[in-house]
Amino acid sequence: MAVRYGSPLKRAATFYVPLGLMVGATLFPFYWMVITSVRPDNELYNVQMNPFFTLHPTFKHFQDLFALTMFARWAWNTIFIATVSTGISLFCGLLAGYALARLEFRWAAPLGTLIFVTYLVPPTLLFIPLGDVVQTFGIGDTPWAVILTYPTFLIPFCTWLLMGYFKTIPREIEDCARIDGASRIQAMIRITFPLAVPGILSAGIFAFTLSWNEFLYALVFLSSPQQKTIPIGVFTELVRGDVFYWGPLMAGALLGSIPVALVYSFFVEHYVTALTGAVKG
Amino acid sequence: MADQRIEPILAESARPTAVAIPAPVAVSVPGFRRPRRLGQLLERQDILAVVLLAPTLTILTLFIAYPFVLGIWLAVSDKVVGRPGAFVGLENFRVNLNDSIFLRAFQNTFVYTFIATALKLALGMLAALLLNHHFRFKRIVRASMLLPWIVPTVLSTLAWQWMFDATFSVFNWMLMNAGLISKRILWLGDGTLAMGCLIAVNVWRGMPFFAITLLAGLQTVNPDLHEAAEIDGANAWQRYWRVTLPLIKPIMLVVVLFSMIATFADFQLIYVLTRGGPYSSTHVFGTYAYEIAMRAAKLGQGASISLSLFPFLLAVIVFQLWYIRRSD
Amino acid sequence: MAMHEGQGSIERRAFLRVAGAATGAAVTGGIPAIVGAQKAPSFPKGTKLSILEWVSFVPASDVEFKRLAAEFGKLAGVDVTVDQINMNDLNPRITSAIETKAGPDIIMMISNWPHLYADGLADVDDVAEEIAQRDGAYYEHNKKVSVVGNRWKAVPLCSVPSTWAYREDWFKEAGAGKWPDTWDELRKVGIELKKKNRPMGQAFGHSLGDPNNWAYSVTWGFGGAEVDQSGKVVINSKETLEAVKFTVAFWKDCLDEGGLAWDDSSNNRAYLAGTISATINGASIYFVAKRQFPDIAKVTNHGHMPKGPGGRFYSIGGQGRAIMKYSKNQQAAKEFLRWFMDRPQYDKWMAANDGYVVGPTPYWEKHPLWERDPKLVPFKEASKFGRWPGYPGAPSRKASEALVKYILVDMYAQAIKGMKPEDAVKWAEGELKKAYA
Repeated sequence: MAVRYGSPLKRAATFYVPLGLMVGATLFPFYWMVITSVRPDNELYNVQMNPFFTLHPTFKHFQDLFALTMFARWAWNTIFIATVSTGISLFCGLLAGYALARLEFRWAAPLGTLIFVTYLVPPTLLFIPLGDVVQTFGIGDTPWAVILTYPTFLIPFCTWLLMGYFKTIPREIEDCARIDGASRIQAMIRITFPLAVPGILSAGIFAFTLSWNEFLYALVFLSSPQQKTIPIGVFTELVRGDVFYWGPLMAGALLGSIPVALVYSFFVEHYVTALTGAVKG
Repeated sequence: MADQRIEPILAESARPTAVAIPAPVAVSVPGFRRPRRLGQLLERQDILAVVLLAPTLTILTLFIAYPFVLGIWLAVSDKVVGRPGAFVGLENFRVNLNDSIFLRAFQNTFVYTFIATALKLALGMLAALLLNHHFRFKRIVRASMLLPWIVPTVLSTLAWQWMFDATFSVFNWMLMNAGLISKRILWLGDGTLAMGCLIAVNVWRGMPFFAITLLAGLQTVNPDLHEAAEIDGANAWQRYWRVTLPLIKPIMLVVVLFSMIATFADFQLIYVLTRGGPYSSTHVFGTYAYEIAMRAAKLGQGASISLSLFPFLLAVIVFQLWYIRRSD
Repeated sequence: MAMHEGQGSIERRAFLRVAGAATGAAVTGGIPAIVGAQKAPSFPKGTKLSILEWVSFVPASDVEFKRLAAEFGKLAGVDVTVDQINMNDLNPRITSAIETKAGPDIIMMISNWPHLYADGLADVDDVAEEIAQRDGAYYEHNKKVSVVGNRWKAVPLCSVPSTWAYREDWFKEAGAGKWPDTWDELRKVGIELKKKNRPMGQAFGHSLGDPNNWAYSVTWGFGGAEVDQSGKVVINSKETLEAVKFTVAFWKDCLDEGGLAWDDSSNNRAYLAGTISATINGASIYFVAKRQFPDIAKVTNHGHMPKGPGGRFYSIGGQGRAIMKYSKNQQAAKEFLRWFMDRPQYDKWMAANDGYVVGPTPYWEKHPLWERDPKLVPFKEASKFGRWPGYPGAPSRKASEALVKYILVDMYAQAIKGMKPEDAVKWAEGELKKAYA
């Protein structure tokens, strides 16, 4: 969308200044995390000192993070769990979304609503009974305990997003393929799914972030130190009652988010395009 | 690249008049090919639907339906940890209605959700409009706007806790050095102010979701429409209000919907920042339910608090789904 | 992060000799010789034992605990795993473990948790009583929180008392050569200190430790209580009202205004940054100071909770270890507890804690570490004045409900915020009646 501006001054006032403020407010806490993670402890606890920079940057907190905790292991767990549960949710959401958007059958509308309603059930209500299920399947304290439970809140989201997306892909393309002899499934897999790649990507990014961040299920279902995810591990082991290990905590927060942000920055353009699809859901 | 292939198609479909592909005359011509029996079954829409929905329904039934029913049972029982509960009807809900902390949590949940969602929408829209321009480092800026949403909530909330700290608050440091205040502000020390801080953090965290999604919405708006409106003499505000907004309304509703559900059920952020204090002024359903169920071991009572949320969520959602369907 | 390894090892060895002799004498009393001889019994190959604990405030304590657990594993041929997490996150893990009948075999119990989770815990009467026989009776609060009905549901492990950490230098300048003995005296010094912009600090928000420490100790110190022995709500008394009025005055005269916004970690930070002159805390301030701020450690000392008209009281939950009813390794778990609580092992663990924890029986008051650093002595003595949540009633589930609703804390917080003390007490009475209904 081309928006034209009269003068550079006007452009500054209506564009650069607000954008700058916005980006500043968004990123300030990150700046804060970075600074905290490289400031030595005696500076952190000094009220007199300017809190905005440090003259003695140190990587000790990062070293501590790896020396005191199993951070590397947690990072690997988190990647594994988030990837697999996102994969499962995308698979389910893709098929379900297609069925609900494209196929005509009796229970389409109520089933769509029902799947959506499951998204509403608060996790604080669910996690105790869910623990029961996890035990019944014998997957307590294994990555599968969360890999299989995260889809409960990821699938409704993916289904719904993809459902909206499929609706924007003209039905006629598929019908043409079917006239040419493709079966329904062939048309779905070969024609419609590839067209939905941006939609899949966007659902995937959402799902991945949600499982990356999840706290309650991971806390309860994963108990051994070597099974933990980044949020659980960093939070439960670096907060010692009334002593917070601010440096390593913030170092963990940074290492737990910057890589994802970098990956996302590659996807963001796709992602923007993809969501465009869901608009007309 | 897939999106490049799809873009023209989307552009076509965005214009309802532009359906160029002729509608098929018949679904399939008999004798054209001989699908095997399974294949034939899968040609039937209802059967295919069952097959496609099976994985989703299996997982949701196993992992949600059953626990949800169990959760409802908890809410109408006097279950405490380690002991089987007995059915007590609506007793737990009666107790809740007489509980001043519950009522406060009730009120807080709504205040928190509605103010935070409204702010996220307003700021997210503003950010989306700004990001929709062409400028240098566009990609980097767009990606960095996503950061608050990516960082694990418990950890970013800890950073905020550090920034709101009564002694070390960086905001106080700035305000004092700028000569704006002479006494430090106790960000989390007053019920109303603490609520404001919680909302601020929630907005900070949730705004990127709005911004990026609305940005996507903005990009579907056909520039021709804007030009046409401009020729008709509409100013920027009018163009936004009359042209842009109606077109992105559907996606806006979707974002609001998802965000509201998440905000209603929020737990981590408040639990880390205030735990419902000072003097129980910042409890929401999530945190209060957690305290009662986990720390007082009253699972039944806790479940009833959690569940109190559900009818309201359902009402909001039914209304919104209806609204979205209607505007389809 | 290992602290002071080797420091004081000579005294410890000497102490061990004495302790060892005592253990030897007690062997006939029922502790299996196998344990007395420092050998754990062996179990079928592949026996697993998993233990869930809090992350201690003292890093060296965790290191030592893991080392001891591994040692037991080797001795007994058991595969021991230890998970240590932030204490706030223990509750959901315990709840889920009991409800799903799966999880760690041994879990740490903090304060009155054995009462909350009694139905999911195995009886440990034999181990608990053996230790009492050997080392003398437990402190009352340790016993009260661990015994439910008349069964031991946890083996008392220790107490983590909070005393006042204060700046000796500043107190001296304000005219107090020694730590004040009564609340009124403390207030007098406090007034002077706050005039010099060196207020004391106390949290009144919703965090687990500090706010409750104040609320309960002060209420009792002035002769008030939330319930009587039978569990009847008696908060609305002249005594409680005095306690509230005192707190409001103390807040205005002596305390840092930050308190309402504080959590358990805020006073640590404020103290170490030199913005407050005294605060109620575990030994964690002192430890961090010794390691990172030696100048502050030098001028820091600890003082007792002052006396009020009702006496001197500490709110101490105490900690224990419980064996879970669902555990299939209860025998191994019991042996571990027995072995760990035996003197040679406990001695090492206590030494690693360096005064942060106090043993569950008065026997451990003789540990040489108390002589090594006299500044820690108030912690040792505090246990004698310890009371449990719900005192003088039972530390029951109902007491927990009052605790998690922060009724006492909020009574004080609201009065500080300007509610009339009478109304605050009346509000608390109403809430307590619901909690104890």
